Amino acid sequence: MAISNELMKDMYVRMRRIRDFESTAAKLFAEGKVPGFVHLYLGEEAIAPAVCECLRDDDFITSTHRGHGHIIAKGGDLKLMMAELFGRETGYCKGKGGSMHIADRDKGILGANGIVGAGHCISTGAGLSIKLRKTDQVCVCFFGDGSTNQGTFHESLNLASIWKLPIVFVCENNHYGISMSQARHQAIKDVADRAAAYNMPGISVDGNDPLAVYEAAFEAVARARAGKGPTLIECKTYRQHGHFEGDPATYKPKEEQAAWMAKDPLPRFARFLIDNGVMSAEEVEAVDKKVAKEIEDAIAFAEAQPIPSPESSVVDVYSDIVEEVRER
Amino acid sequence: MASIGIIANPASGKDIRRLVSYATIIDNNEKVNICQRIVLAAQELGIDECVFMPETFMIGPKVADNLENDGVMKARINVLDFEIDASMQDTVTAAGIMEEMGVGCIVVLGGDGTSRAAAKAIKRTPLISVSTGTNNVYPALMEGTVAGMAAAAVTHMPEPYSCCIHDKRIELRVNGELRDIALIDAVVSSDFFAGARAIWDPSRIERIVVSRCHPATIGFSAIPGAYRIIGDADPCGFAVTLKQGGEKVLASIAAGVLTEVEISDPKLLMLGEPYGFTAEQRCMIALDGEREVAVAPGDRVVMTVTADGPWRVLPKKALEEAQRLGMYRR
Repeated sequence: MAISNELMKDMYVRMRRIRDFESTAAKLFAEGKVPGFVHLYLGEEAIAPAVCECLRDDDFITSTHRGHGHIIAKGGDLKLMMAELFGRETGYCKGKGGSMHIADRDKGILGANGIVGAGHCISTGAGLSIKLRKTDQVCVCFFGDGSTNQGTFHESLNLASIWKLPIVFVCENNHYGISMSQARHQAIKDVADRAAAYNMPGISVDGNDPLAVYEAAFEAVARARAGKGPTLIECKTYRQHGHFEGDPATYKPKEEQAAWMAKDPLPRFARFLIDNGVMSAEEVEAVDKKVAKEIEDAIAFAEAQPIPSPESSVVDVYSDIVEEVRER
Repeated sequence: MASIGIIANPASGKDIRRLVSYATIIDNNEKVNICQRIVLAAQELGIDECVFMPETFMIGPKVADNLENDGVMKARINVLDFEIDASMQDTVTAAGIMEEMGVGCIVVLGGDGTSRAAAKAIKRTPLISVSTGTNNVYPALMEGTVAGMAAAAVTHMPEPYSCCIHDKRIELRVNGELRDIALIDAVVSSDFFAGARAIWDPSRIERIVVSRCHPATIGFSAIPGAYRIIGDADPCGFAVTLKQGGEKVLASIAAGVLTEVEISDPKLLMLGEPYGFTAEQRCMIALDGEREVAVAPGDRVVMTVTADGPWRVLPKKALEEAQRLGMYRR
């Protein structure tokens, strides 16, 4: 498969953007500037950027509690994201959703989600909507290995397959469901094996290599767009931090952590780009500086935003349609 | 003590060709089942120990647990103790240790790539290659019971090589250095990254070198196989280039996928005869279906078909010889 230099460069920019956003979020959380919980995408940056390179602006994604990477990869606004993390009035959810509920309907981002496995059902609904509206959009459902033990996963894959919905199910297998290793929570090693039960293709790829992920996602998205139905792609990766910030992750063996850190997707992809003449070391450095400035600007924006008033806590609790029903 | 080795690759059969073609699906629990049948058959024919490669799905321990639970375990299950890294290197390491231990036969479950990895480490141990992969030219579709019987039979034979064929291999040298081997095909692709590893797009293929080829195979060796048949015992290999303006052939490049391609420069390669070119641009060389070796512009690439491949057991012949030797009599 031909992958242009421009596309590879863009993938690197998106990966770097996620890495810097997440590293900064970790620091800000430790400083007490970010309320609530944050679950970071550090170590998994090769996946969402590679998948989202295959999507159009009008395609959909669903996300998880570990959603920053998905949202950034699909074009989410860093300033609005940071303002939301800071709990400010101009954040994506007016400061009331925090890290786990960021959504951007205009960009097809159907929302991060604090409920494990909820994204499966939302993506199936989006897929059905696409089919009923007869468009050629695609929905990508990001989720972790732990959620594939939930009923929602099985129900959603079953319906998506029966109805041939245009969905790409992307399992980010980081080998842990909270603190439980995959070997202790699943009788299988490859989540991709579960696809056969629902009569759809299931494949495993190196989730720390954006080019491997891209090749698989490209084919799966094309298949979905052509009306041929869903695909399950399992991306093997590793969560470099704990389940949430503040989790010391003592359950992870040191040797395992070290082995996966040696496969860290960011330096690995940067080295590949430089060694193969796609980017010079100076170009990589310039991207890193530019992204660092974007993050600085996002923090400055967020810190300057107002804190929501106490009265606003009861606003947006019910949707307009419910108000209409009440009035009747 | 009579022992056999079993290498079951938990990563085989899950690559992108399940998405771009109609490839077979064999999950890891079925690999456990196949291994159980190998062990059960082998122990009935006098095998005392089955040595397993350690891997992430823990197929060997699962076999032991299941068979002990059923009360049918007679042989000892020995899972090798070395640090694994969940890569092809585990197969290379395990095969090397098994040969050093003196197992009578090694049974490999996987695709072409798994057999290639085992072949890199063994010189004299007979090999049985059971297909649980994708485009399987080297491994055969075989019932585990038969594989276990054949492995046991070969282990007990005074002349095991009489039931084997000494396979060819392709040696890949870059700038004079031996970089790797292939058992069936070495394919030059215009990709310059490994990506999803498997190759499936003929528009990216520039050259194909094969140790054997036949139209009945699945994969890129089917392309020269559609033009000329080279058998596993023929003292030669074959090479073609793919470019517009060549002779059109229809070949089964993946499961369920027959594609028209244009081939040029067909060349019979006698054993030991080098086939070389100088790379004009970055490219990858895929060995037995997987992108493995990156080549830079100006690199001198030489591929040579030799007779130095593994000793591959012919299961039917082994079982017939076992019958002649009275191994089934009680």
